[in-house]
Amino acid sequence: MGREMKQKEPFSAKSVVMFILGLLMLFPFIMMVVISFRASGDAYKPIFAAVSPTLKNYRTVLGNENFFRWYANTIFTVLVTIVLRLTVTIPASYAFSRMSFRGKSLIWALLIATLMIPGETTMVPRYLYFKQIHLLDSAWVIILPEVSEVFYLMLLTEFFSSVPEDFSEAARIDGAGDVRILTSVFIPLSGPSIATAVLFSFINIWNNFLDPYLFINSIQKQLITPALKFFQERGGANIPMQLAGASMAIIPVIVLFVMTQKYFVAGVSSSGIKG
Amino acid sequence: MAGKGNRKTPYLFIAPFLVMFAAFKLYPMVYGFAVSFLDRNSTKKLTSTAFAGLKNYTNVLASESFWQSLGRSFVFAFVYTVTVMVLGFIFAVLFNTPFKGRKAVRTMFYMPYVTNIIAVGIVFKYLLNPTKGPVNAIFRLFGAEGPKWLSSPVMALPTAAVIGAWLALAFNIITVLAALQEIPNELYEVAELEGATFSQRIRHIILPMLVPALFMLLTITVINSFKSYTTIVALTGGGPGTSTRTLSYQIYEDAFTYMKFSIASAEGVLMTLVIIVVNAILGRVRKVWEEK
Repeated sequence: MGREMKQKEPFSAKSVVMFILGLLMLFPFIMMVVISFRASGDAYKPIFAAVSPTLKNYRTVLGNENFFRWYANTIFTVLVTIVLRLTVTIPASYAFSRMSFRGKSLIWALLIATLMIPGETTMVPRYLYFKQIHLLDSAWVIILPEVSEVFYLMLLTEFFSSVPEDFSEAARIDGAGDVRILTSVFIPLSGPSIATAVLFSFINIWNNFLDPYLFINSIQKQLITPALKFFQERGGANIPMQLAGASMAIIPVIVLFVMTQKYFVAGVSSSGIKG
Repeated sequence: MAGKGNRKTPYLFIAPFLVMFAAFKLYPMVYGFAVSFLDRNSTKKLTSTAFAGLKNYTNVLASESFWQSLGRSFVFAFVYTVTVMVLGFIFAVLFNTPFKGRKAVRTMFYMPYVTNIIAVGIVFKYLLNPTKGPVNAIFRLFGAEGPKWLSSPVMALPTAAVIGAWLALAFNIITVLAALQEIPNELYEVAELEGATFSQRIRHIILPMLVPALFMLLTITVINSFKSYTTIVALTGGGPGTSTRTLSYQIYEDAFTYMKFSIASAEGVLMTLVIIVVNAILGRVRKVWEEK
């Protein structure tokens, strides 16, 4: 039962059972890929039926000029959000983990309390407000509200709290102020947690449906996930083509996830709340 | 000066975050509360400031559709929460012991979490197609007629909730796994010496040590379980009939189909209250449990 067991992991019936369960978890993805290579008329033929695979669906999807624009919009939104988010969140996390000031616990409690209010309950006032300040239908309507996310504040505050006191004391004795300590001690140390923040920002914005669906009207300005919804509605009953679009829309996050799994697990287990 | 630094420094450090938070997160919440007392219930009154008092609330609370969609939200939340908590716990325990290929299998289990229901919804609608889909083909293999899944007024809501749970399961597995690894190894060794069975170990070591983490996780899961909008849009669009019209779906429709913005805001406030009350009840349960 122990986590420190260093001896060779035993091969057992459990390995087989777990692998089969894992395949079951992935079954929808497997089917997504398999069916996406079929012609529209073959969609509902049995899984192992002999059908000739076709690349036609992918050609149609990638032939849609907007598809690459949706990728580009999403990547732009993600990158700008990450830069702004880290710029405001890093100093705030430093203050919450390393400084004492009046009102600290009250402000912290208020921020945490807002996590109880899901974005779905405030979609109406957000829409009215963003309309009033003329923010609708631009990338900024997604970026600006994403800048201050309590999840990332918790993530980095937790990490900064875990840095041993000695590190900052040594710098302080050398006469460094808080800004210097933050930039020359904490930021260099926080590579892994910043990586986690970047990864989660990417995954969350990539998969965000409701906000861009509500706030962005022009199809050319849309992000990939809500765009996929429009794409489906346009595609009608051609299920293999819809699945080709869906595969293309999730491949980037899956690749990213498989490459950076370590940070993904760290992000979930250290803060416990997904935005 | 090598001391504590300027007393204003901490506020300068948190100011950018708080300003952005106040402008884009907190203000809309307060604004929504305000709008719920106004009369913005048509396109013409989009910026109206006419005070409506409690009228939106009395209208919402008197409408049958509100209570029905609240009930559906509870069904969705319940099925989702139970599925994700139970399966999350079971798989975390299974992943806690080493076995060959554990890392690869874990990756397989986590993958749905990084994708989204809009993309995956298409394949679920395909798999669960009542007449042509592969899932019901398996039922027919055994001579049985499979359920109509997302096209059945009875089955659609729980089916959607289970699909939502499938997508979110990794979060619970990872969180429980992290908590399990906090349990000192000595406890297991003692249990082993005393010849405790697997189920005894679960009941007497794992569960008691895990209760604080599980309650925390339950709180988060319950909050998430009320966010059903995207799942419903992707899978059923509220149908068949109104059978999957959850509260968040109704909020969207009232606002953006019927242009009743104040009514929808009032529903949003009520939904927030429901989540707070449910969590307060969970908090009480936790207190009672801990005093036991």
